[in-house]
Amino acid sequence: MTSVPQEIPLEQFIVLSAILFSIGVYGVLSRRNAVLVVMSVELMLNAVSINMVAFAVYTAPTLFVGIIFAIFIITIAAAEVGLALAVILRVFRNRGTANIDEIDTLKW
Amino acid sequence: MNFDYTLFIPEFMLGGLAALVVALDLFMPQLRKSWLPYVAATGLAITAGVSLAWVNKQTNFAGIVSIDNYTTYFRVFFMLIAAVVCLASGRLVEDQLRHPGEYFGIIILSTIGAIGMAAARELMTAYLSLELLSFSLYILVSFAKFDARSNEAGLKYLLLGAFSSAMFLYGLSLIYGVTGSTYYGDIASALSRGTHDFSFALLMALVLIIAGLGFKVAAVPFHMWTPDAYEGAPIAITAYLSTTSKAAGFALLLRLFGGAFQVVHDDWSWMIAGVAAASMILGNLVALQQHNIKRLMAYSSIGQIGYLLMGVAGLSHNTASALVLHLTGYMVTNLALFVVIIAWYNLTGKEEIVDFRGMRERAPLLAGALAGALFSLAGLPLFAGFVTKFILFQAATDQGYYWLAGIGVVTSVISLYYYLQVMREAFVSQPAEGERKLQVPYVMQGLTVALMAGVFYVGLYPANLFSVIDNATRFLFV
Repeated sequence: MTSVPQEIPLEQFIVLSAILFSIGVYGVLSRRNAVLVVMSVELMLNAVSINMVAFAVYTAPTLFVGIIFAIFIITIAAAEVGLALAVILRVFRNRGTANIDEIDTLKW
Repeated sequence: MNFDYTLFIPEFMLGGLAALVVALDLFMPQLRKSWLPYVAATGLAITAGVSLAWVNKQTNFAGIVSIDNYTTYFRVFFMLIAAVVCLASGRLVEDQLRHPGEYFGIIILSTIGAIGMAAARELMTAYLSLELLSFSLYILVSFAKFDARSNEAGLKYLLLGAFSSAMFLYGLSLIYGVTGSTYYGDIASALSRGTHDFSFALLMALVLIIAGLGFKVAAVPFHMWTPDAYEGAPIAITAYLSTTSKAAGFALLLRLFGGAFQVVHDDWSWMIAGVAAASMILGNLVALQQHNIKRLMAYSSIGQIGYLLMGVAGLSHNTASALVLHLTGYMVTNLALFVVIIAWYNLTGKEEIVDFRGMRERAPLLAGALAGALFSLAGLPLFAGFVTKFILFQAATDQGYYWLAGIGVVTSVISLYYYLQVMREAFVSQPAEGERKLQVPYVMQGLTVALMAGVFYVGLYPANLFSVIDNATRFLFV
């Protein structure tokens, strides 16, 4: 393991990740297009990856748990996008729109 | 460290079974549709038998996955649920699906994910198992791909599910940051050394984890996907959603909170108690005005999740046993009810509550099972629902949650109203002119009888089952 860049404190990574996560949450709640919602979820997952790598490097530099976790998250995120795009494509073929406001047959 | 791969023999067998089912579909297309459900169900039942070899053994795989009575119990439980769902979806497969092998293969793979959630003692494994189950369910919900309702349900479920697992994951990363470990045991010992240095980070982590898992089990502020996913999915998958996905969520909740967060019980028990109360009230009240049976079952399941969360709020060995007992009784009852609904839908093609009229004349066996299952869900004596709910409420009051148990009793009474409305259609309303008696297929008759026997077994002799469960939940707190 290479040496930890001590001149950058851990807090900066955590703040970066929190900002990225918040942007993701805002995107999920405000975007109307299903593809953009999926992109916002990806931002949230990337925030988690940053957190994991930063914690791994700063708190336990000899263990690779956080870094391995980040690799798994990247893999899962890729699978999730594939699945989401497949479902969105089906919806678009059947209804001619991927806008989640207009997809409203099911309601109470 | 113990790297004994033979511990995973049941999971390997399930993986092989999934591959076999897909291969049969691919290479022997002439017999695939009518035989595949039986191949899948037989394989699942055999694997459930094999996993009994680990009864009363306590071992683990490198501290990541622990194989003890709790894991064995849920292995058998999930495989039997999957077997019932495979058998019950025979008609759906014949009528609607072009590639049934994938359908059964994905059900079997999702069972592996559910088992992993019950067995994991490490955050990464727990998360990967959770995603294996969730991804399989996203596919299954949108499986009827030319049906616009199924697509829509799948899209909503997928977007909200992905959002919730991202929140759950952020919570896990904070836990990893403050404790420096992903193993439940190490997290517990790090937390027991005092949390005042990072109390805010811990609170954020617990909120995010509870929100994420709350989405998965459909507890109240996070329940929006449930009615839509239930209504849009093919009915057999609705049955699967309402059983395995909820039970696996609770298996993970118990393992995680019992193994890792029990030392900071006071920091999270109030959140779970609030979520439980909200679920009981909202689920049961909104269920009153439903007219589609699947949406009714969705809100009824939200109410039932509230009862179950009561057991998590006052988590102890005793409440965990009561929770798993109620979970078992509820799952058996729910499956019995869904088998009746599936059989009725196959014969009539209708799923509104008013369409149940005349069931007593047209299909007496189904009507009897419907009555039994609804009474059990409402919690009337003789049936599973009464005794398991009683034990659960008693365990909650032992932990001091009198107000939660009070809400539980009141909302149970409310729930009787909408369960009885379904019964009124089935028993009191007369069939319309020209509607004759229906011939229910033997498979569905057999399933109905077997599941109703299970409901009565849990209701009349809970002591045996309770001691088995008590023996399993001991391992949660080590």
